[in-house]
Amino acid sequence: MLNSVTQVLNLKMKLSEMEFGAEGVITEINTEKQKINAMGIRVGKKLKMITKQPIKGPVVSTCGELEVAMGVDLASQVVVDVD
Amino acid sequence: MSKKAAKILLVGNPNVGKSVIFNRLTGSDAVVSNYPGTTVDYTEGTFISGKQEYTVIDVPGAYSLEARDKAEEVAVRMLHEHRDATVVVVLDATRIERGLYIALETIEMGRSVLIALNMIDMAHDRKISVDDRKLQKLLGVPVVPLTAITGEGIMQLSDMIRKAQASDVKDILARAEGRASEPAQASGCAGC
Repeated sequence: MLNSVTQVLNLKMKLSEMEFGAEGVITEINTEKQKINAMGIRVGKKLKMITKQPIKGPVVSTCGELEVAMGVDLASQVVVDVD
Repeated sequence: MSKKAAKILLVGNPNVGKSVIFNRLTGSDAVVSNYPGTTVDYTEGTFISGKQEYTVIDVPGAYSLEARDKAEEVAVRMLHEHRDATVVVVLDATRIERGLYIALETIEMGRSVLIALNMIDMAHDRKISVDDRKLQKLLGVPVVPLTAITGEGIMQLSDMIRKAQASDVKDILARAEGRASEPAQASGCAGC
């Protein structure tokens, strides 16, 4: 419920909190950027959440042609302006 | 009159086809599979092009030169151990952007670099067109498009290896931002 409200308001949320299939633009990366830039994730890129696994499992998203899987901790450091 | 074997390092992201290129160049049979991280340690082989013997080293895949795992550590170590080697950076034409990261890092090291733009056939199939000449102009290093699994472009690659050259990331940035159009020559007084 809360998620659908935030989506209407076009709010920023963590990648780890995004709904399946939700799309948005990356606005912040709150970790050593080096770590994640090299995998093709950077501020200003469009991203789509594909899947996340239960019990703190990995989050998979597509970013352009790339499919990137990352741990939930890392995913919670990525802030996305959801469409 | 045999010259000393020149060294070549094959560097790039995991699963871009470094080992396939290695096999094509050297005629060996390094294990290739469609999974990232198949090459964890390095493999070495030789080939001859234009009377020059080359030692090719197939380096494990890495996303960046800031090592985060064992395979990347090996990659970084290889780059530092073979300071005189030419670096062939292999890019997946369907995922260029990610590969450019390590390509730029390698250029930043001041290494003599050549870009092998692999999987051109796949890019074609997916309607991705890559302007290799523009990329070459931007980066200031030779770019060779090829399809390693069919062998297309491998001859051009082996011919171009001696044309590998160093570039400057500052100039690349300037060209990318449209501030300079020609690959700049090293100026005479850099710090005077």
